[in-house]
Amino acid sequence: MGSYLIRRFLLMALTLFGMSVLIFVMLRLVPGNVADILVDSAGIADPKEKAKIAKELGLDRPIHEQYVSWIGGLARGDLGFAYISERPAIEEIAPRIPISAKLAGLALFFSVIMGVPLGVISAVRQNTALDYSLRLVSLSGLSLPSFWLGLLILMASVQWFGMIPIWTNEPRSILEELMLLSIPAAAVGFRSSALIMRLTRSSMLEVLRQDYIRTARSKGASQTTVNYVHALRNALLPVVTIIGIEAAFLVGGLIVTETVFNIPGVARFLVEAILWRDYPIVQNLVMLIAFVVVMVNFLVDMAYMALDPRIKFAD
Amino acid sequence: MRIRLAFIAGGLAAAVVIAAPAFAQKQGGTLRVSHRDNPPSASVHEEATISVNMPFMSVFNNLVMFDPKEKINSPDKIVPELAESWSWNADKTKLTFKLRSGVKWHDGKPFSSKDVKCTWDALSGIDEKQQIIRKNPRKVWYKNVKEITTNGDNEVTFTLAREQPSFLSMLAAGYSPVYPCHVDSRTMRSKPIGTGPFKVTDFKRNEAIKLVRNPDYWKKGRPYLDAIEFKIVPNRSTRVLGFVAGEFDLTFDSDITFPLLKDVKGQKADAICEARPTNVHTNLLINRDAPPFDNPKLREALVYSLDRQPFSDILSQGNDLRGATMLPPPAGVWGMTQDELQKLPGFGPDIGKNREIARGIMKELGYGPDKPLKIKVATRNIAIYRDPAVILIDQLKQIYIEAELEPIDTTIWYNKIQQKNYQVGLNLTGAGLDDPDGVFYENFYSTSDRNYTAYKNPEIDKMIDEQSAMTDVNKRKAMVTKIEQALLKDGARPPISHSVSNTCWAPAVKNLVLQHNSIYNGWRLEDVWLDR
Amino acid sequence: MAVINHEAELARAGANVSTFGGQMRFMARRYPLGAVGAIIVLVFILTALFANYIAPYDPTATNAKASLARPGSTYFLGADFMGRDMFSRIVHGARISLAVGAGATLLGGILGVSIGLMSGYLGGTFDLATQRLMDIMQSLPLLVMALVMAASLGPSLENTIIAIAIPLVPSVARVVRSSTLSLREQPFVEAARAVGMGEVRIAVRHVLPNTLAPLIVLGTAQLGSAILTEASLSFLGLGIPEPYPSWGRMLSESAAEYVRTAPWLVIFPGVAISLTVFGTNLLGDALRDILDPRQRT
Repeated sequence: MGSYLIRRFLLMALTLFGMSVLIFVMLRLVPGNVADILVDSAGIADPKEKAKIAKELGLDRPIHEQYVSWIGGLARGDLGFAYISERPAIEEIAPRIPISAKLAGLALFFSVIMGVPLGVISAVRQNTALDYSLRLVSLSGLSLPSFWLGLLILMASVQWFGMIPIWTNEPRSILEELMLLSIPAAAVGFRSSALIMRLTRSSMLEVLRQDYIRTARSKGASQTTVNYVHALRNALLPVVTIIGIEAAFLVGGLIVTETVFNIPGVARFLVEAILWRDYPIVQNLVMLIAFVVVMVNFLVDMAYMALDPRIKFAD
Repeated sequence: MRIRLAFIAGGLAAAVVIAAPAFAQKQGGTLRVSHRDNPPSASVHEEATISVNMPFMSVFNNLVMFDPKEKINSPDKIVPELAESWSWNADKTKLTFKLRSGVKWHDGKPFSSKDVKCTWDALSGIDEKQQIIRKNPRKVWYKNVKEITTNGDNEVTFTLAREQPSFLSMLAAGYSPVYPCHVDSRTMRSKPIGTGPFKVTDFKRNEAIKLVRNPDYWKKGRPYLDAIEFKIVPNRSTRVLGFVAGEFDLTFDSDITFPLLKDVKGQKADAICEARPTNVHTNLLINRDAPPFDNPKLREALVYSLDRQPFSDILSQGNDLRGATMLPPPAGVWGMTQDELQKLPGFGPDIGKNREIARGIMKELGYGPDKPLKIKVATRNIAIYRDPAVILIDQLKQIYIEAELEPIDTTIWYNKIQQKNYQVGLNLTGAGLDDPDGVFYENFYSTSDRNYTAYKNPEIDKMIDEQSAMTDVNKRKAMVTKIEQALLKDGARPPISHSVSNTCWAPAVKNLVLQHNSIYNGWRLEDVWLDR
Repeated sequence: MAVINHEAELARAGANVSTFGGQMRFMARRYPLGAVGAIIVLVFILTALFANYIAPYDPTATNAKASLARPGSTYFLGADFMGRDMFSRIVHGARISLAVGAGATLLGGILGVSIGLMSGYLGGTFDLATQRLMDIMQSLPLLVMALVMAASLGPSLENTIIAIAIPLVPSVARVVRSSTLSLREQPFVEAARAVGMGEVRIAVRHVLPNTLAPLIVLGTAQLGSAILTEASLSFLGLGIPEPYPSWGRMLSESAAEYVRTAPWLVIFPGVAISLTVFGTNLLGDALRDILDPRQRT
């Protein structure tokens, strides 16, 4: 167990280190740097001005030196200065994290309360009209671009209510914030709920075929009890893992949804920072996302092992 | 002409507002404005976009400014601001300002002549070590400044290398605030200090800009508003929805295009919308230093190929203005009249005939319907550039040119043009000021930083210098027209159209006077009040 | 092998399996949703291939008079701001979607198969190194990875394909690797080795064909997500540039300007994307049922 954990942590550190190199190099392949943008946005094209800014921001230093100073800072908890706002990157990133986290949490909540019950129903009523229509709905959840769904919601809301559920002013209370976030959360959570529903369904079907379910039935447990108590408990294991993984991967959906609904979270900020070539923001945000993904994977594996006695620590 | 009518109507409305009795003005309230994108910084001197001017102009004061109550900025309508008065010496090379005393910066430090000297030493490049700016996009405006001297705390003199009547106009533009000597450029970019009617309290990237009333403003009783809040909403549909739903009192400058105007008026009948030129004109960049357009005949064919009406029809439902490089009248002070324009090559009303000329040239050069010239039209990869480029490509088919669009990432657009790595480019050029010195020096003078096409023509340079020194306005106007004709003949950035767009506000917003020949001026907002 | 087994199953079920048509009819009855998906995908591919004949207008021709024209008899699905026919643009957009979807899936597939096969077969240091590389690539969500790739490569059709293909590689490589690992020890591979077959030939002739079933299932799913990713990238302004009529970009530009004044500009490209992805998903589900009976849903 101990040595497994040590090995696992080393691998995670290796992955994050690799990511840091990868993102650092890729960003520097991008045509045009922040000096180009700053000078261009002022409508000038003077190479002297550009060189001056590049020097001020340290972009003229050798690439490995820039990397070392970034990673060194990161190790000390210093994320550097954002190029555009010229404020510490942490001050730019930190306030946006809770917004995205709340949105992702809400989306996940929606997808679970929609996905799991519908998946169970679909499995229990396998091959009925209900099953077919639920499967179609879940497939469409995997097919609709979430930004398009968001746009349709916006359009409908304007058409019918004459208002828009976008983030216009700072919400005054948690409740108001949740109200504002719930529509985008539903738009982004639709896809996850479809995934969860499909997985719940197939997992349920598998369990329903197992011997112990037959045993339970033969012992006289009612159909409902068998379906919802015995089977569901066992079917949930793979579902829990997919929920964990989906939580991290929701970030992808957040990128477009935050853009559509004008929500000032980290995902939209990442796109803006990429467009502005604001390296300190992009690098640190990417590392943050990678860290979350790696951690969630780790936690999911741990949970899986804890829940499923058949799996042993392989060391 | 629809647009001319709109101008006159707007003028009347403004006259009524100004004539209204003064006691009606109310103190207080927050003006809520929509903003289209994140300003690159808050430092007016370092940027060249309305994204910066509209929110931050009211943080500062100029020495002098174009009369904010007038819709048309012209050299004879300039009023004092931080300067109480000004005077020229006999040969018009020394301009002396008497400065207002008792003015304080937002941080409480006193304003003095040293600040003026600092600011223009940095802008003119006399003192390159000044820390108050990092970039200097309008350096060319002050290329004629030789020296700035102070005489005590309340007097400052600009010494010019030669006579330049436009110099005072440059100082009167929204782009010419006085900066504090004691604040570094980083602070000016993030939370600037000025002497103006409003103070910056918050500049949250991609979210909002908040300004509050400066209680110690030197002009008694101003400003009326307690605060101004700019909310950054990148999606235009969302901004319009916000305005219609009453979330905003004022739209971003020129945000309501003509296709959207109908929708806004339909949804919010009491909205006040005013159309005015945006100081931006669409033009062609032709690379004269590389084949195939090193051939002047081919450049001429391009000049004769354009049908300007569809550009205007598509992009603004026919409201864009036809003009050469200078903004045409009535809003523009220096541009050619429509009659004069008709005489320019390619501007004649008979498009069929023009294109016949162009096709003739093409045939002469060996091209034809079966052997089209294949080129690439480069443009910045954003909609306002791409849309006209797509129309251009469609039109070039008429003269045996098969063009392909080459969208250039916006970060390397000027780089690409500067490196002459293009054949034909479609560009938008903004004019910070409706003044021939500003426009010509910036865009066509051999040594200018913003002469992206590196257009070098000693004759044009000479003519630009010549008009710059002319004091007789009519003679100067004639010279300006001569320069425009010469530029067009040479195929130097053939202009397509000057864009016109709408700015809207709720009826509660009072005393807002939009400037019709510069969107960059007129955002001091100290006289604006809310009737709520 | 799965495919052969299935044919046997078909025969047992009494279908006329001697003709291709007979097989198809049987499949369509057995998997009606899959058949619908197959038809959608087929229509999509045919539209892409014959766009020039289907589209009534030149998708790039502008027309001032038709600016924001409503859907009607002249313009079946309306016209955009530049007066370009929406129907023609959507039809030509199918080309872009197919090029990007199929291009990225194939490129990602080829890279993934090569890496997975080598990794599973060679093992050792190579396997270890590629596994770590795959770990790194999978530590970012697909869209984030594609976003960074697209930004660093710059906007063009080819670059968008690469930007979407690369993030698809790890999952393919993993599937191929694990199949290879289990197949390597199978009796028929041992037998091939015993008769003196070279390792490369064994890998290509015996191991690879046996990984096909899961690959086809994965590939269909990836086709859908590649199309969606392209749409998202273009929506964010980092995908296919003009003049190509990309569905995602058509959506993003109209969304920014004309949600209210011309909703058809938002609705139709979105329908095109959704329908296409829906079709690939339906087909993918059916293929999984057919090819991978263990995961039957």
